[in-house]
Amino acid sequence: MSATTCIRTPARPVPAASISRTLKVRILKAEWTKLRTLPSTWRTAVLTLALGIGFSVAVALSQISQWHTMTAQQRQVFDPTSASMSGVMIAAVVLGTLAVRTITAEYSTGMIRSTFSAMPARPLVLAAKAAATAAFAFPVTLLGNLAGFELGQRIFASQHVAVTIGHPGVLPAMFFGAVAVSLVAVIGVGTGGLIRPTAGAATTLALIIIGGLTVGQFLPAGWRQYLPGIATQAAVTVHRSAGLLRPGTALLVLAVYAAIALGAAAMRVAHRDA
Amino acid sequence: MIEAQHLIKRYGTTVAVDEASFAVRPGRVTGFLGPNGAGKSTTMRMILGLDTPSSGSVLVNGKPYRELTDPLRSVGALLDAKAIVGGRSAASHLAWLADSNGIGRRRVTEVLELAGLSDVAGKRVGTFSLGMNQRLGIAAALLGDPETLMFDEPINGLDPDGIVWIRNLMKSLAAQGRTVFLSSHLMSEMAQTADHLLVIARGRIIADASTDEFVHRNSTPSVRVRALQPADLAAALTRRGALVERCPDGAMIVTGLDSAAIGGAASAHDITLFELAVHGASLEEAFFELTRDETDYHAGQLTGTSQGA
Repeated sequence: MSATTCIRTPARPVPAASISRTLKVRILKAEWTKLRTLPSTWRTAVLTLALGIGFSVAVALSQISQWHTMTAQQRQVFDPTSASMSGVMIAAVVLGTLAVRTITAEYSTGMIRSTFSAMPARPLVLAAKAAATAAFAFPVTLLGNLAGFELGQRIFASQHVAVTIGHPGVLPAMFFGAVAVSLVAVIGVGTGGLIRPTAGAATTLALIIIGGLTVGQFLPAGWRQYLPGIATQAAVTVHRSAGLLRPGTALLVLAVYAAIALGAAAMRVAHRDA
Repeated sequence: MIEAQHLIKRYGTTVAVDEASFAVRPGRVTGFLGPNGAGKSTTMRMILGLDTPSSGSVLVNGKPYRELTDPLRSVGALLDAKAIVGGRSAASHLAWLADSNGIGRRRVTEVLELAGLSDVAGKRVGTFSLGMNQRLGIAAALLGDPETLMFDEPINGLDPDGIVWIRNLMKSLAAQGRTVFLSSHLMSEMAQTADHLLVIARGRIIADASTDEFVHRNSTPSVRVRALQPADLAAALTRRGALVERCPDGAMIVTGLDSAAIGGAASAHDITLFELAVHGASLEEAFFELTRDETDYHAGQLTGTSQGA
């Protein structure tokens, strides 16, 4: 019998793909921890719901009060679903600003240096901030849409134009609205990375979202529907209406804006001194 | 271990760091000494991969910082204790740092304890004093149990207890074989904490030596003497090659002779001494001696010119 031989297991190099996946998970986890441990995140959620639902109800009441003056044509295209979820625009601005702050607050305090020391892969950090805020914005907006819809339909019931949640296109509209706001949050992170002062970045984002409703009036209707704010409005529609993209197309347009904003911000942040 | 090779950082036409080459070795506290604006913080930011050098390179534990996997496990750094979003609790701040480098939450509790912050772990960081922020910054630096530690002006804003705590902590970290790199413009603090000094002025490394050697090489010890017959003693000491400076209070500051030689001279001439005190050279004097021509602005230059700095 031969002497005991030890078989050495050769060290197996960890595949690069697995290192990078671990890294992505860690960065995402860190950015999620940052977001959820900031009390203002939760205050923002409450604010979004209060203002968003309030706005949805106000718009529904104003619409129904004008019902008797509406033409038959106007009544024909009336969309009780989108008319009860106007709060999606409020959600876009307030949660978009939250997304802006995830990056500008770190630049203004200097904490960005701790962030980039702990996680030198800067583009991944930006992507993780975008993913975390988008994941946060989705359920908050969905809840707001649901509440706005339910309250709005009670208001519309007085003129017998209410629809139920099971009505074709209603549930998709709620979801599309939440996806639209999540994409606006990604645009917000991109805006924050490109414009570091909080005030400047938040104002820019607000103009991107609601500016389309004012400045956009001067654009040809064919162009106007591609503005981020108008696309967000289109996401919650059920009836096809003139001057608005189909909801699916609207989300695609927002996704393109989000990719451009985040990509540009990642390039800028990666190459500048922190 | 930190190794810089011909490190240069330019901002427009200003050269913040000028051809800095140095090595910060493990097992000792290396002080990074220089006046404000000398380039200490810029150098530290380049070490951490936050700022990109205009040219040259710097390696931490043999690698560029950005190529380290789980950097907090290799290098712990405190740059600016106030640079922190105030809404989170101390524990939450450490929690995201831990998550980012795959460090367990138990370690968060450990470093909070180590930094003496256990009682305020759940308090908002925004309510912290500067001293508490410094402790939190040090807890964050220690989180990954790194072999290299770097602190930028860590004793700013600390009370005397805190200063002693930091001093002992730095020494014990170095005694464990870690690389400890500590910047300060406070020379007295460096004299008590650092084993080795790297002196920077106007972006250039002007000295790289042990603290004792630096002090010895750059300053002259002197002896303060008071005698019953000052004129006789002065004459006797001058004959022996000493430089004697008479003070208005009757004392003399003698350089060039040690206390034994002065005592011997006095006794040979029957001179009565009632004070003989060796005045050791301080790091402060050594520093001013070395940087006299290097610092950008001397206090004296502020008078008589109309130009602002």
